[in-house]
Amino acid sequence: MTAESRPEPADACPSCGQPVWPGDNFCEACRAELWPARVSGDRQEAPVACPSCPGSQVDADGYCESCGHKVPSASDHTELDLGLIAGVTDRGLRHHRNEDAMAIAVARTSEGPVSLAVVCDGVSTSSNPDEAAHAGARAAIGVLHAAVRGGEDLAIASARAVKAAQQALGELADQHRLAMNAPSATFVSAVLTSRAVVVCWLGDSRAYWLDAGTAADARQLTLDDSVGQELVNRGLLSEAEALASPGAHVVTGWIGADLREAEPHVAQFTPAGRGVVLICSDGLWNYRPEAAGLAELALPAAVTDPLGAAAALVRFAIDAGGADNVTAVLAPFPPHGQPGQPGQHGQPGPHGQPGSAASDNAAAAAARTEESRTDEPD
Amino acid sequence: MSQTDFTVEVFQNEYLHDGGRDVNAIVTVTAPDALPSASRAEGTGRAEIIIVDCSGSMDYPHTKIVQARAATAAALDVIRDGVAFAVIAGTEGARPVFPPDGSLVLANTATRQAAKQVVANLRPAGGTAMGTWLRLAGRLFASSPAALRHAILLTDGRNEHETSEQLTAAIQASEGVFSCDCRGVGTDWEVAELRRISTALLGTVDIIPDPAGLAADFEAMIQTAMGKQVADVALRVWTPQHAELRFVKQVAPAVEDLSGRRTLSGPQAGDYPTGAWGSGESRDYHVCVQVTPGAVGQEMLAARVSLVAGADMLGQGLVRAIWTDDEALSTRISPNVAHYTGQAELAQAIQDGLEARKHGDEETATAKLGRAVALAEQSGNEDTAKLLAKVVDVVDAATGTVRLKKKVDDADEMALDTRSTKTVRTRK
Repeated sequence: MTAESRPEPADACPSCGQPVWPGDNFCEACRAELWPARVSGDRQEAPVACPSCPGSQVDADGYCESCGHKVPSASDHTELDLGLIAGVTDRGLRHHRNEDAMAIAVARTSEGPVSLAVVCDGVSTSSNPDEAAHAGARAAIGVLHAAVRGGEDLAIASARAVKAAQQALGELADQHRLAMNAPSATFVSAVLTSRAVVVCWLGDSRAYWLDAGTAADARQLTLDDSVGQELVNRGLLSEAEALASPGAHVVTGWIGADLREAEPHVAQFTPAGRGVVLICSDGLWNYRPEAAGLAELALPAAVTDPLGAAAALVRFAIDAGGADNVTAVLAPFPPHGQPGQPGQHGQPGPHGQPGSAASDNAAAAAARTEESRTDEPD
Repeated sequence: MSQTDFTVEVFQNEYLHDGGRDVNAIVTVTAPDALPSASRAEGTGRAEIIIVDCSGSMDYPHTKIVQARAATAAALDVIRDGVAFAVIAGTEGARPVFPPDGSLVLANTATRQAAKQVVANLRPAGGTAMGTWLRLAGRLFASSPAALRHAILLTDGRNEHETSEQLTAAIQASEGVFSCDCRGVGTDWEVAELRRISTALLGTVDIIPDPAGLAADFEAMIQTAMGKQVADVALRVWTPQHAELRFVKQVAPAVEDLSGRRTLSGPQAGDYPTGAWGSGESRDYHVCVQVTPGAVGQEMLAARVSLVAGADMLGQGLVRAIWTDDEALSTRISPNVAHYTGQAELAQAIQDGLEARKHGDEETATAKLGRAVALAEQSGNEDTAKLLAKVVDVVDAATGTVRLKKKVDDADEMALDTRSTKTVRTRK
């Protein structure tokens, strides 16, 4: 894009104050990153007071100096909001810390903004699962963000992001000398362009399509890597039976140094109309596994207020028991408009061009989510 | 991390079932490889006293006094230049033999030579009153500004010329003033008596059945003492309100229950003396705390374990409790805790078994020593297994089936007793 063809500068660089344009990912003057990815758990704020011991001090490790209890910290509950995409993660009621992590980002491309997100759920029986989830989400969003900005193929970029997360967990294992019980986490990512949705996963964190037009069109985009899913696939259990059986929750795929050869699943489709992609940890879907049920909870608010809707989903899971950490990220499709101002700079969505060839194809594609295992170039 | 930082590693299963209250952890403390010397000038800041039993029995057999003189000479040879030292002759009284004026003298070629000449002329005559020996050592150490103060006490007999109370009082007066390694030569001394001294004075106790072994052992003890760099290190344990500290035990290199040694050091905190540490030295401690159960999902700091030397904090580790309803987590057994629980039980079984055997209770002795054989076998404590095999005939080590030997050498029984607390470490 040349300077002459540019629209008026939309904003000023937060670092140097020079003008920046809607399509810019970096400030041309100072190279500052304009739309950095946000990762939960990046900012740790030390708590200051123990709720049960008035007047007591909290030590540097976050424990009350009187009763010894871990004082609830800010990382127990994190909300991230980039306007086009938002997410909420919470410790829940039964776990002592949040071992889920989420990362969200928006990339500016010549085709318009692209929203992307990663959710990782630390496997609680592995070592340092909280660090694993955080390291995985952080590494993946970095690779995915750069790839989208660079115009790479989204399916390949998604698989590459998983490799980056696996690499990060391997480094975590080496750093802590954790050959046994290597830190592990589940993985799910979503990338939304104005034309397509690409999801990628390993484990039992899920992605759903919540259709804004037809509630019945809501569906699960991922298939769990779990004992339960396998039993369902073989026709041995119903979905409901699998959900009720404790052994069925055992994951059979994850990112971690002890499963380096695991290949992620990638699926992409073109939605026929407006809607919202939800990616979440099992702390949410355990209480409402069906897509229609989740759509009922999240819509219509999720289309215009993804942060509020994500917070409502997390609240729902906590009220239902909060047995696990809960994470929900909502990304409206198409991802148009400026952060916080949906619709302002958007390309017309598929719903705006009824009957076009593109949207026919989209409808056909939407009918069946194509799952493909991508071969990862090294 | 500064140069003087100790490494403190905590091994535990922090997960407790709903309502669980017992928190166990093994805390491994390791001094840095390159501890800065207590002082620039090598040797300054150290004091060393060798206490040689000169009672009449040291002449029967005569090799005892001959080897004791040779061992003291060997020890003097490895005391470094600049270390303040003295030699005490112990009988029913205590006599400073070198320097004769009852002070400490700095080691150099001339003073070592002079001391060796005096030691070569030590003549056994008189009785045994170890309390007076310790009291003289304490007085000599008190005249020195040295921070690292270490003594060797050698005896061949029982503390016959003073009361047990007199010895206890002398031990108490010496606590915190100096550390003391105790050695018994021959088999006419009392293991429990020397263990009382070595435990209170943070030293070791061992038997030297053959006087010919004294020189090498003395040399090794002085070498170890010369390697110590930081004096008066304490293990500080903080616990939450309403928690009960069940015990604090050193479990490697040997089992020592420190629970009774606690001195209050702050709100909810107590200090346990660990003595002096050398570069790279590593010890393991077992901490057991009973806490008020929290709700599922809650996390609690069950103990904060720090190493302190005076006002300096050398390192710390956290013992945690997390309540969970996930049985896969709460039923895990920490291999380190299990290992050292077994090693402590092994030491106790040996001591109980030998005690029962002494009183003619063969049934209890067989059961206890059998249990010890099984524990030694399971944990790979080969040294202890060998010592046990000299006291019992092992029928089946795995099940602990044993028969008491009809005839046991006194020295073998005493060696098993003194070394029963030695542990093997787990592989990390």
